[in-house]
Amino acid sequence: MFSVGFRSLFRRELLRFVRRPKNTFMPPAITNVLYFAVFGVILGGRIDEPVPGIGYILFLIPGLVVLGTISNAFENASFSIFHGRWNEYIHETLTSPLSYVEMVFAYVAASAVRGLIVGVIIAIIGRLFVPISVENGLFLVATMIVVAALFSGLGIIGGLVARDFDDLTVMNQFILRPLVFFGAVFYSLTMLDPLWQYVSLLNPMVYMVDSVRYGLLGYSDMLEIAPAAYAAVAPLLSLAVLTALTAVVLAIDVYLFKIGYGLTD
Amino acid sequence: MPPAIETVDLVKDYGELRALQELSLTVEKGEFFGLLGPNGAGKTTFINTLVGLVRKTDGEARVFGADVETEYREARDAIGLAPQEFNVDRFFPIKEVLMHKAGYHGVPEDEASDRADEVLKRVGIYDKRHERFDWLSGGMKRRLLLARALVTEPDLLILDEPTAGVDVQLRHDLWELVTELNDEGTTILLTTHYIEEAERLCDRVAIMNEGRKVTVATPDELKRRGTDTISVTLESPPTTTPDVGPYAHEASVVGDRLDVRVDDGGSTAPQLLNDLEAAGHEIADLEITRTSLEEIFVDLTKREDRSVTRSDASSDESGDAGAGRNGESSGRGRNESAEREQEGIA
Repeated sequence: MFSVGFRSLFRRELLRFVRRPKNTFMPPAITNVLYFAVFGVILGGRIDEPVPGIGYILFLIPGLVVLGTISNAFENASFSIFHGRWNEYIHETLTSPLSYVEMVFAYVAASAVRGLIVGVIIAIIGRLFVPISVENGLFLVATMIVVAALFSGLGIIGGLVARDFDDLTVMNQFILRPLVFFGAVFYSLTMLDPLWQYVSLLNPMVYMVDSVRYGLLGYSDMLEIAPAAYAAVAPLLSLAVLTALTAVVLAIDVYLFKIGYGLTD
Repeated sequence: MPPAIETVDLVKDYGELRALQELSLTVEKGEFFGLLGPNGAGKTTFINTLVGLVRKTDGEARVFGADVETEYREARDAIGLAPQEFNVDRFFPIKEVLMHKAGYHGVPEDEASDRADEVLKRVGIYDKRHERFDWLSGGMKRRLLLARALVTEPDLLILDEPTAGVDVQLRHDLWELVTELNDEGTTILLTTHYIEEAERLCDRVAIMNEGRKVTVATPDELKRRGTDTISVTLESPPTTTPDVGPYAHEASVVGDRLDVRVDDGGSTAPQLLNDLEAAGHEIADLEITRTSLEEIFVDLTKREDRSVTRSDASSDESGDAGAGRNGESSGRGRNESAEREQEGIA
């Protein structure tokens, strides 16, 4: 099913970040310990349950897991592609007989794995602060894989489009991070006025955070604010849309590799 | 058996700049083929088109019969490239870099490890296998690029200026190695600025200039296209340049030495001596100097720069692989050269 070539590139990509835990896993671990300590324990102690029955630390965990997962998946893919372009060693891949699909899927798969590992690390750190019981495990796993793959695919586009390292920083800090922060990570949509609830629905991060929260805690803002007829299928619909979006992004990745965008003269 | 490389009317445009101009070139399987040309001639663009780092604008390019775009996997699998630039993965020790490259070409891990050891020994940097690229010396880096090209056991080895900036010892080592590989059946495409290198190694060379093929010939054929200089030392320095026959393109006197430029020094020298003696000159010494390949190369590319029009170039380019066609091209080139020299242009 997976060719030797695909496995070789996938392995290379995995080893690149696994061998550098100080650069890849330690920073999100430390950052999230701080998030949980400051927002969860110090401030969270003064905040009422955002939704009944779910304490603030517990409510935070899914959002922080998504934030860490997508940031790392995006960062890994964009860095790997851009750094390879910058130093031209991506030519080792480009001059090989790997198909464009294999190239893209190897980069995406490895970056998604990094994102998922960081997500698990954050969940484990959260577990140190509060007990967690997974409510919809299968749904959670499916959503996390789709979200990680989606942002790995977007990271590939970022790595191909970027002209220097500053561009990568801009993408991560000025686009991704604000969208996630306004993606109901730290608050529930039910706490917003109806107008802002609907504005928030334009933010794709909302669906990701909400789906992961549904998978982990069994609670979904969508189920609370969506019209009754839609509510029953809201999480599944979110997952379906995210899956379709991921497929589109991966197809764009393959197309860009095929035409050599950012890769060839 | 399809040729190792076959391009037909290959064109590459960068905006307004045409880097490859309807380039048609054939490199036969097993050949040691040289690409010569000044900077900006299009040599690297040509190579990168074959390996997938440049997308052609028009024309056809095939490697062992596989189209470089529609059958890119077959084409790329056949090629090992040692580029000019040090484009090596800095994250891993060099042995792993080679294993990865072999892996991308479908070589299983155990075999890739064996092959990496083998090529590192072959290029003489096996003891550095656990080092990263950045810690290698310049010469070792150049060796590693060759090792990376070899680890996939390519049928076509492309060397893009492999000896640029390396010391004499390394240059000779590399020459020896690529000659061995060619003897073992690997087709080699070499680009170089060193004429000596092409003369020493290549079965045939193509001279390129401004994205266009100027000519293709063996090094010997090319050298025959040049002129010889017969230097005659006279017992008494002449006051004016002696009148020599129509075989001379040019004659000049420096002190007691008369320099006469002719097509073939060996066959013309007796005639020249007879003519000089008949005119009353006494001969003290005689020396014949053959034009170097480097001078011919400079002359060919300079002539292109100065005066060859597009249509002229196209007709010259028709002399691709066939010896007879090359012969026509050669004769025409020589006549043009003579005419220009007589006009004082070349």
